[in-house]
Amino acid sequence: MVDPRTLRTQSFRVGFLLFAGLVTFFYLLPVQVGTGHWPGPDLILALAFVWVLRRPNYVPVFLFAPIMLLADFIFLRPPGLWSALSVLGLEFLRNREPTSRDMAFAVEWAMVAGVMLAMAFLNRLVLAIFMVDQTSLGLTILGQISTILSYPILVALSYYALGMRKITPSEADEMGYVR
Amino acid sequence: MARDRGNADDYVRPIRRLLIGILLLCLTGLFILWRIDSPRVEQLRANLVDKVVPSMEWALVPVTKTVGMIENFQSYQRLYEQNQELRSELRQMQAWKEAALQLEQKNAKLLDLNNVRIDPRYTYVTGVVMADSGSPFRQSVLLNVGARDGIRDGWATMDGMGLVGRISGVGKNTSRVILLTDSNSRLSATIQPSGQRAILSGDNSGRPTLDFIETPELVRPGDRVISSGDGGVFPPGLLIGQVAKGPDRRLRVILAADYERLDYLRVLRTHEGEAITDPGALILPEGAEAAAIDALGGTEEATDG
Repeated sequence: MVDPRTLRTQSFRVGFLLFAGLVTFFYLLPVQVGTGHWPGPDLILALAFVWVLRRPNYVPVFLFAPIMLLADFIFLRPPGLWSALSVLGLEFLRNREPTSRDMAFAVEWAMVAGVMLAMAFLNRLVLAIFMVDQTSLGLTILGQISTILSYPILVALSYYALGMRKITPSEADEMGYVR
Repeated sequence: MARDRGNADDYVRPIRRLLIGILLLCLTGLFILWRIDSPRVEQLRANLVDKVVPSMEWALVPVTKTVGMIENFQSYQRLYEQNQELRSELRQMQAWKEAALQLEQKNAKLLDLNNVRIDPRYTYVTGVVMADSGSPFRQSVLLNVGARDGIRDGWATMDGMGLVGRISGVGKNTSRVILLTDSNSRLSATIQPSGQRAILSGDNSGRPTLDFIETPELVRPGDRVISSGDGGVFPPGLLIGQVAKGPDRRLRVILAADYERLDYLRVLRTHEGEAITDPGALILPEGAEAAAIDALGGTEEATDG
């Protein structure tokens, strides 16, 4: 007999994988070939950040890192760099998860936005150090802004569609999350 | 009880931290490897995409077609205006067609008189666009032809009208086309009728810029831009587009290829350009680079308004 909580955790992990596959699929559709479009949000990253601040065990880092690496390869980013930064950001937020339990949403959003901007900045910095050709700063900023804007939408979706709430103190006691 | 858990935590957390450290090291290592030995990692990328993307093809095609249908349906709303536009365009086209036919006849006659053999390198493989780059920072598309069909890196790709880009990254069944608008794309071009040479460099906008023009005064908006064939990468004389002046006073190119609808692309088989290594052998045996010379032909005055 499988423990229902384990089952739930596993199904959410599979769900994350499916979501990543679906997002990749839609980004790859040759519908908007050409330029001048508003750069779309990095939904895989945003969803991982949403979930890690609610149920950290739904986004294990060893599931997240291969997905990001594969995305790096498929989306023609320099392989490894953005996934390394994403893992850093994810782990940073995972460590902040206990303190974020009683944060107001605006504060949480600001924290996530800060992490994302720091990641983008580091990304550009490393690329500049390694003298890789970069795209324009404006486009990068627009991309980050759309990722940040997608964050509350994903929070709302997780909340209303999947019933994912923050860990309450009683749950934390039960699950052994006390730190 | 809680204390026990705490103990387990004490063991688990350092190991976890160590594993994450190793993971980060691997990822950074991969990045550095990519920076050092880019071609090999890019080949790996091409093979990976070759594995992943065709497995999605069964779904990519219908969804793309559906979206295309919706877009087409929206355009029906403007049907009347479109019809009027098309009629007026058609009238102009008929005049052009007449002129083209006459020119073609004349050309055929002249070719016949001169006994010219048409360059055999303009054969092509047609591929279907499967996917785009998926990222707003890279302008590229994936074709469903690859090494199996004899595609090689560096070959030129056109749609029906003009140059679209070049092949960069070939997998077994797929190949990637870096579009002219990508910020990594550089192409040597000739501007007609003044014959000026320029570098067409993409900057992720829809209108790539023209750089390094010797005398920009000779170049006017509306001039034709064709590939120059310098460097032997691209065949000369392929239509790229028209010169336009951007709001920032830089010269840009309105591309002839229809970037909004890239469905079928032609990959031109380009055979290795013959390099001149020895000054004594300046005259090539098969007339391989002769076409590059006549690109300089029209340097007459074209400045008066």
